[in-house]
This record gives sequence, structure tokens and C-alpha cells, in this order.
Amino acid sequence: MLTGALAADLAVNGLVTGLFYGLMAIGLALIFGVLRIVNFAHGEFYMVGAYAYTIVAARLGVPLVVALPFAFLFGAALGWVVERTLMRPLYANIGSWGLMRDEYAVIVTFGLSLLLVNLVDKAIGPYAFRAPALVSASRIVVGPALMSGQKVAAAGVTLAVLALIALFLRFSYWGRAVRAVSQNRLGASLAGIDATAVSSLVFSLAGGLAALAGALLSPIINASPDVGAFPAIKSYVIVVLGGMGSIPGAFIASLLLGLVESFGAVLVSYQYRDTFGLVLLILFLLFRPQGLFGERGREV
Amino acid sequence: MSGDIRLMREFIATAVLLLLLALLPLLTRDVYWLGVLVVSAYFAILASSWNLLAGFTGQFSLAPAAFAMIGAYGAALSSAYYNVPPIAGLIIGSGVAGLIGLVLGRIVMRLKGPYLALTTLSFAEIARLVASNSINITRGDLGLPLEPWFNDRVVWFYVFLGALAFIIGGLYLLLRSKAGLFLEAIRDDEIAAARSGVRIVFWKTAAFAISSAAAGFAGALYAYFASLVTPELGLVQQTGLVVSMTVIGGMGSLIGPVVGAFLVYVTSEWLRDVGGWQLVIFAALVIVFARLFRTGLWGLVTAALATRRQRPA
Repeated sequence: MLTGALAADLAVNGLVTGLFYGLMAIGLALIFGVLRIVNFAHGEFYMVGAYAYTIVAARLGVPLVVALPFAFLFGAALGWVVERTLMRPLYANIGSWGLMRDEYAVIVTFGLSLLLVNLVDKAIGPYAFRAPALVSASRIVVGPALMSGQKVAAAGVTLAVLALIALFLRFSYWGRAVRAVSQNRLGASLAGIDATAVSSLVFSLAGGLAALAGALLSPIINASPDVGAFPAIKSYVIVVLGGMGSIPGAFIASLLLGLVESFGAVLVSYQYRDTFGLVLLILFLLFRPQGLFGERGREV
Repeated sequence: MSGDIRLMREFIATAVLLLLLALLPLLTRDVYWLGVLVVSAYFAILASSWNLLAGFTGQFSLAPAAFAMIGAYGAALSSAYYNVPPIAGLIIGSGVAGLIGLVLGRIVMRLKGPYLALTTLSFAEIARLVASNSINITRGDLGLPLEPWFNDRVVWFYVFLGALAFIIGGLYLLLRSKAGLFLEAIRDDEIAAARSGVRIVFWKTAAFAISSAAAGFAGALYAYFASLVTPELGLVQQTGLVVSMTVIGGMGSLIGPVVGAFLVYVTSEWLRDVGGWQLVIFAALVIVFARLFRTGLWGLVTAALATRRQRPA
């Protein structure tokens, strides 16, 4: 039943979905790497970005080249505020917080997720918002597959942004600082790296990337208060598969999950397509907690 | 103040609170408000059972709502297909939830913090997706109807209050025994506890199973009250409510979750008339309490009492 043409179509679609997952998951992996917490409000940054883009572009008529960066900046600003107000106790004065540190992080990010969903629900309304299209072409042929113009445009932007992030992390001073702190916070501080500033940077960057993902996909999946739940769960799965905190791992795992879901929906079961990733997550956490490519942290 | 005395005070305070709650039907016979109280008691059982895990054992599970849903389906399916009486349905519901909790608890034994939270969250989502997609068995999102057990809301209120008292009493006896000491030792320092001869695997798994069974019991009871079971019972948002109530009331105390559940749910129904911002307020409160008042409302009360006692009269 799986012909060559269908397989090629599934592969291309799976990879494109995987790219979008990557935009979400890399931020989550960065946060885990630097702060050692899972941000349970990550999906709400996606939601906020979708709204920021939709409102600015559709209601105020701002051109797309401005609206997309605006969504990114809005998410980044929110991330910065959250880090400054709620995440600081995690590493300032860590001794007295040691015991309940993990629990605090789960409660606070979980509470933040509830807060943002309900705030938007009350302030803007529970109905889905239709976002303006990114491009006018409705169907584009990509290699063997036929895809909507929206998806192709969004995938193009995503690829460009992911490449920028990779260059930033690889070559810039702050990129190296991020990698150093995620390898070993204490060691990096001893070497003169401002670990607190790195935490702020990482939270802002992650918030911005998730918001950008929400903005890019809002023409396809319209903004609504709970629109972030779904991409958030995907990115949890990806971060676990790729090894908690590993950026290249998260990227490869994003593409893999996109492929697994796209083939699984056809070959195994369409109804249960959303459970594949979750089952993988549990199996990985139990049997290979370092993920596909994860490395153990280095101790000082 | 030693742990035993603290626990006894909390137990007495809870008992007084439950007695005061039992007087409420004297004030109102309104069907709507009795319903609100019943749902509050349902959440109080869920929050108390979650507190055993998160507050007393240090296992931060994100699956309490899923176990309530499993218990509810245990009751609903056995009553729909085998026509069992409600009492048997309750036992089946809590038993199934407890067994699944035993298995899950044994599996996630070694996981901590974010890893445990992610695993239990995934389990909860899988359980919900299975319930809503197994349409030929559970009728999916349409839900399974049940024969209501009682029709009078006053009777239901006392049934739920009795169930809550039963759970609180059980938790008190458990925590007062050696088991409570073991659980708190595991929470505070697992390695030191193991070194001192506490059977970590046994007690952590037992706490998970007991907590799950209690959540399943609450869910099964709720199924007979609502006379409809849908996968919505297992939504992550429901877990969010349970966590909020426990954090606001006071994690790691016997009375905290009960205070939190009644306070949050009753006030939120009351605030519904003034624009429905209740969930925004409670989510903000959760963050404020977690950030600034980690012992919750009950902790604030005991701290206030302690300073008053210290001051010479």
C-alpha cells in the first residue's frame, strides 16, 4: 500500500513538520541545558506569538516583514520578564532552595501556563483568530510532494532562522557562553562567564523562537488560547529523544518525530498518531535517559 | 514541634473543618451550590491523594486527573457492560486505578523532578487519548452514561463528605505510622533513607499505588454523581487545578489540600458572576504562593499563630 510516490510525499511532509517542531524544541532544549528545568509554559509562548502576529498583521495592517520579527520580540520580551521574576530563585541563593528546586520549577511554569491561557481567553476571547497568509500561492510543488504555499514559506523562514541560531551558538561569544553554562554552570562562572545573563538570554531566545513558530504557523493553525498545548507536548517528546539539553540532538529528533508521525499515521494508526511520540518519550526516559545523542554533564 | 503533634493538629483542624462543612446544607438547599460543594469535595479528595505523593513523598506526578478518569471509566465500563452495582463499581474503579498506579509507580521509581513530571504527563495524555479514541468501547468524546446512584443533592453532598473524611482518616493513620516517617525520609533525602534501611522501592511504589487508588476512587464516585464519564476528566487542566489547590492550601500538610480545594472551587464559582476572571486570579495566586509563600495558606496561618504565642500577653 506504500507506493514510492506516497512515501516521498510522506517524507517531505514529515520533514517540513519536523522543521516546525525544531523551532519549538530548540528553545526548550536551550532552557533545559542552562537551567536544568522543563518549561511547562513553553506552548504558551507559541500561543502568544501566534496572537501577536495575527493582531499586528491582521488588525493593524502592519506588513509581514515587520509583523514576524515583532512576534519574535514579543515572545523574547515575555521570556525575559518570566526569567527575571520567576526563575531567579533557581540559581540565586541555591542552598536553601535545593530540596524543592525541581518542584518549584514545575509548579511555577505550570501555573504560568494556566495564567497565560486564561488571561488570553478572558482578554481576547476563546475564539480562533484567522491570520493573514504569508504568501498568496496556494499550492507549491516541492520535489515529489505537493504542499500549501503557507507551509513552504514558513518552512523557508524556519530553515533560515535555525541556520542563524546554529551560527550564533557555534561562533559568537554569547553562543559559546550558552554552551559553556549548559555544560557546567559552576565551571563557566569560574571562567568569568556571567551565568545569570546567559540564563536571561536563553529564556528570551527560547520565548522568541516559540513565538516565531506560533506566528509562522498561525495562517495554518489559527491562534486560540489553547493552541500551544499541542506543539508543547511535541517539543517535550523531542527534547527527551534528542537528549535533554542537546541542541543538535533536538534538531535531529524534531525531523525524526515529524517522519515517525507522518509515516505512522498512514502505516500504523491515524487515530493514535499523537500517542506514538508520547510512548517514545516514556520508553526513552526509562531506558535511555540521555536520549539518542545525549552526553553526560561534566563535573567540576 | 515534633512531627507527630503537628500531624495531629492538622488532623484535628481538618476534622473540625469537615464538621463545619457538614453544617452547610442547613444554610443552603440550593441545587446549584450543593453541586459546587460536591465538586469541591471531589477535588479535595484528588488534591489530598496527590499531596501524599508530591507533598509527603516528593514524587511530583502530573497524572492525578488521569487516575481519576481511569477510576471513572472503571466504574462506568463495569456498570455499562456487566451491570454491577455502584459499590462494586467504586471498588473496581479504585482497584483498576490502584493497579495501574502500582505498575506506573514501579516503572517511574528512579525518575526525579522534570523527568518524572514529563513521564507522568505523557502517561496522562496517552490514557486520555486512548479513552477518547476507543470509540467502540468508551463511545469516545460522547461519554458513557451511567445510572445515577442517588438523586438528592443533599445525600450526594454527605456521601462525598464521608468519602473525603474516609480518605483523610486513612491518610492520617498512614502518615502517623512508621510508613509516614519512611515517606518523609525518602522525600528529604532518598540516599540517606536507603542507607538507614528504608525500603525505597517498596514505599515509593506503595505511595504511588495508594495515591492512584484514592484518585480513582474519587473519579468513580464522581462518575456516579455526574452520571456521565468523558475523557475530559483526564485533561491536563484538571491536574492543573489539583496542583493549584494543593499549592494554595499548603503542600505537605494534611489540611492544606482540603482548604485549597474548597476555597478555590467555591470562590471560583462565586466569582463566575463577576466576569469569570477566576482562573486568571488563581493561576496568578499559584505563582505568587509558590514564589513567596511556599507553605501555602495553612503555613501562613500556623506562622501567624506561632508569632502570637511567642509574644508575651
